[in-house]
Amino acid sequence: MIVLSINGQDSQVDVPDDMPLLWVLRDVLGMNGTKFGCGIAQCGACTVHLDEQAVRSCVLPVAGAVGKKITTIEGVGGTDLGQRVQKAWLGIEVAQCGYCQTGQIMAATALLAQKPSPTDADIDSAMSGNLCRCGTYVRIRAAIKQAATGQITLPQTIA
Amino acid sequence: MRIGRAIAVVVGIVVLVAVVFTGYALLTVTHSGDESLAQPAGAGTPPDLTAQMARGEYLTRAADCAACHTVPGGAAYAGGVPFKLPFGTIYSSNITADKETGIGGWSDDDFVRALHAGVDKDGRPLYPAFPYASYTALSRDDILAIKAYLFSLPVVHAPAPANDLSFPFNQRWAISLWNAVFLKKERFQPVPGKSEAWNRGAYLATALGHCGECHTPRNAAFAMKHGEALAGAELEGWKAYNITSDKEHGIGAWSDQELIDYFSKGHAAGRGTASGPMGEVVEYSLQYLTPSDLTALVAYLREVKPQQGGVPEHAPLAATALPTSASLGEQLFVGACAGCHLDSGQGRQTDYAALTGLRSVRDPHATNLTQVILHGTQLDVSGQRIFMPSFGRAYSDAEIAALSNYVVGHFGGQQGTLSASEVAKRRITK
Repeated sequence: MIVLSINGQDSQVDVPDDMPLLWVLRDVLGMNGTKFGCGIAQCGACTVHLDEQAVRSCVLPVAGAVGKKITTIEGVGGTDLGQRVQKAWLGIEVAQCGYCQTGQIMAATALLAQKPSPTDADIDSAMSGNLCRCGTYVRIRAAIKQAATGQITLPQTIA
Repeated sequence: MRIGRAIAVVVGIVVLVAVVFTGYALLTVTHSGDESLAQPAGAGTPPDLTAQMARGEYLTRAADCAACHTVPGGAAYAGGVPFKLPFGTIYSSNITADKETGIGGWSDDDFVRALHAGVDKDGRPLYPAFPYASYTALSRDDILAIKAYLFSLPVVHAPAPANDLSFPFNQRWAISLWNAVFLKKERFQPVPGKSEAWNRGAYLATALGHCGECHTPRNAAFAMKHGEALAGAELEGWKAYNITSDKEHGIGAWSDQELIDYFSKGHAAGRGTASGPMGEVVEYSLQYLTPSDLTALVAYLREVKPQQGGVPEHAPLAATALPTSASLGEQLFVGACAGCHLDSGQGRQTDYAALTGLRSVRDPHATNLTQVILHGTQLDVSGQRIFMPSFGRAYSDAEIAALSNYVVGHFGGQQGTLSASEVAKRRITK
């Protein structure tokens, strides 16, 4: 039996040590907010936090998450920062199809926890591993800035 | 007239010597050295080997038979792995106990002779890609334990594909000449005055593990240069690094724990991650060594004569400007690599993805780095699969060159010199 601390609550799961955390979240615990994208840590859709660091849960063996604080999209609104990010996402209407957005929000929140006032370069680099096939990148960047500053930010493309 | 006669005499002598030598080589090719020796100290299995693993299985792993005799994903020890050499391709043989296509019909003496003398059951020379130049030092007891283990496994009917070698390399008899010159059919003898651990390490590194077959430079006749043991070499498109005790060019600066981590997990933080052929060595062989054998291997490597050469620890940083922030290489790194490796090169959730401190990112030729980018890498170690997908089909030669040069500049402080045409060549070798 493995005990995981997810969004502040302990959950017991009976799974093999090497099962990816994403499988445990979705298939065992029924927490479907975290998405499966590529399965090889290339797209970022499965991003969750492990002790506030953004990790790809599709390649993280569950044994590696034991004893650490796991935060998923279901629990990210539990902090003031997480709430600001979610509000900014809604305010800017970032999502188009939405599939990648839980991963984007988790990556953005992890970035802002480390760098409360990120530059464009910081954002580009921290978010580079999260793909969005709808191309909402410009709105993602604006939403991160809005969450950071609290100021209304207009999405702007850069020439 | 007199000069003509002198030349004729010289030619005659040369021909005569060549004929006599060839006769000698052909006659002695099946001779396997002194077979009456008892098991020497340093051979066999370590005292801390757990009962679950049979003696023969442990030795077969330590000798890393699987890396060459098992196709990835294929039947164990059924052979057929291609070896691309400068003069053609040869395939490893089926060493399961199948009577027709394997070694099922081989007697104990046949098998011992194959490892000691490098000839098959019929006495025909085997190609030295089979590391008999190292296995010749194995004890008879150990070889028979390996045979017993191989014969206990499922029998696989699998004929080896025909070798594709150009003339004169397809003339097997000619190998007897090579053997007569370069093969010392001598068993391992412990060196008096050296510690028990050192002697065990020597047996592991030279006879069983045959480290030198990849890590020791070869001369013009493709024989290992024993004066430069483990000084590093290049083969099949990969660099087998200098692993002598030199602090700057070898592994002299690694701590004991770093070496043990590398052998047992395929990764030592800030030092290296095993990939390519070395990844196979860790996967099939080194990770199974017992703690006492790991310590013994370290004890031996510590005393290997230091040699210069290869990728230094503290190379002077590049004098010319490194790729700027707007470079194609950086764009590619941020887009395709930073997701896992992070901008800092520390690696996202696994230490195995750390780039800082690796020799592969300090190598201006980016030899191993490009192999990993082009073909990906994977390592099954301690029940865990560590992998990186291949990017060879996603990016052009120019893009991979730019990316490699950026990584070498950014994380290794070196001026990368890789060109697109060089990448094109490396796509073919793997």
